[in-house]
Amino acid sequence: MNPLLRQLQMSVTRPALVLNQALTLCRATPSIQHPVWCTASANERQYRSMPTHRIGRWKYLVPKQAPKKKKDRHKMKPIIPATNRAYGTLNVTVSGYDMTMVEHYSQYIHNLCNRLGVQVAESFALPTKTTEVMLVHEQGTKMEADAVLKTHQRVVQMSSLNAALSSVFMDVLLKNQPEGVQLSVKEQTEADYRARFKERPELLGLMAQINK
Amino acid sequence: MAAPCRRMASRPLFQFLTCFSRTAVGNTGFRQFSTASVCRATLQVKNVTERASSPWTLMAAVCLQRLPVITADGSPIEQEFKNMLLQMEMEKSVMSDHELRLLDDAERLRRKQSADYDSDEEEDHGKQDILLGQDLEDAWEQKLHRFQPAPRARADVDEDLTSAQRCLADLLVLLAEQQVGDEKLWLLPQTQWQEGETLRQTAERALASLPAGFKATFLGNAPCGVYKYKLPKAVRTESSVGTKVFFFKAILSDSAPPKAPNAPLLWVKKSELQQYLKPAYMMKVDRFILAV
Repeated sequence: MNPLLRQLQMSVTRPALVLNQALTLCRATPSIQHPVWCTASANERQYRSMPTHRIGRWKYLVPKQAPKKKKDRHKMKPIIPATNRAYGTLNVTVSGYDMTMVEHYSQYIHNLCNRLGVQVAESFALPTKTTEVMLVHEQGTKMEADAVLKTHQRVVQMSSLNAALSSVFMDVLLKNQPEGVQLSVKEQTEADYRARFKERPELLGLMAQINK
Repeated sequence: MAAPCRRMASRPLFQFLTCFSRTAVGNTGFRQFSTASVCRATLQVKNVTERASSPWTLMAAVCLQRLPVITADGSPIEQEFKNMLLQMEMEKSVMSDHELRLLDDAERLRRKQSADYDSDEEEDHGKQDILLGQDLEDAWEQKLHRFQPAPRARADVDEDLTSAQRCLADLLVLLAEQQVGDEKLWLLPQTQWQEGETLRQTAERALASLPAGFKATFLGNAPCGVYKYKLPKAVRTESSVGTKVFFFKAILSDSAPPKAPNAPLLWVKKSELQQYLKPAYMMKVDRFILAV
């Protein structure tokens, strides 16, 4: 063993095969021979002898997920009922005329929920309602469009809110409510969910005909 | 004491639907509140046969808050930064329809006034020649001058400590002067707990017992703070060591009720609390009042 080691230390440039043999022989001694130096042929799999081989594998630990279907009808997330200690699925609706204010406030609420550890189920916007303010002329009955007001609505839906936390949460929300913005906290119902979808009159007609 | 806590735990949770709106129209100084609380089941008070008698007197106090109505003015740096951001936004923004219209009108006017103007070549704009963008702007200016906004801060109202309309940009807390022991102290309105009621009901009673009728929405069944007061050694006995005061938060929902004059009630800002409350009491109260 010893004379071989001495040979290794003295000569730096050795043909590859000889080096390999030396490696297999002195496996006990940690050798810092760089594998790149070895011009390995395709048949010989050098990496298997590397001590760090297969370290860092993790894909085999990830649980297998079923391949996701492309077309998936939007299903309602289950409404969590309220318990003695916590509220169930709550909808915090922020509405107002000024879109930037409404959006910023809803973002603030969402961030607050993240901070306080309240699980946010969904965060969406309801369609904008446009109101036209018509003024009647002093002389005459003709009405003229005076202003167009758009009411924007943003909803932050949280899965459950702890009752002890709810008082602090509401307090903070109320104290930071900007002017011109309405805040509404309601429990989620099936009807609320259905209201977000458009009706399909022809489908309803066909269903009625089938059921007749 | 174990008894009231246990009862509170068994009390079913109220479903609540609350709507808070901040609009300029309507009650100035107060948020519009609409609460629909639905009791899920009737309150069932379990009769506790044995009770450990405690030497502490229990009291519940209500921290009635009037929320700020207008946003506070920013500090000078905030103002400057806001102006700078608005300027940047304006410079980066695209022209609106009205501004484009003004430009078109100016262009058309310039063309009309030039020597070789042929009105036949002009495209038919129809009504736009009758009502220029400038006329619209003038009409809007007129309307703006006719509108008088309410003043943001009135010095005389701000000085009046008994008015709930003072300091619209700050949070106000109600203080009452009550007899405690043998001296009159300024503190949050409190009253003693009685058998068979929850602490929150005690707090509601404390609010109702004030000479002025306030309508408030309580935030939750759990107290937000507690203050323990041990009687001086001379007065202490086996059965009364001191008092424990539990604080409950409430938000004022109704404006200016008919109040009895000279009622010892004050609306104070958080910064002014120190002048009225005792130091130890102030330390505990300070913790749960969320304000600047």
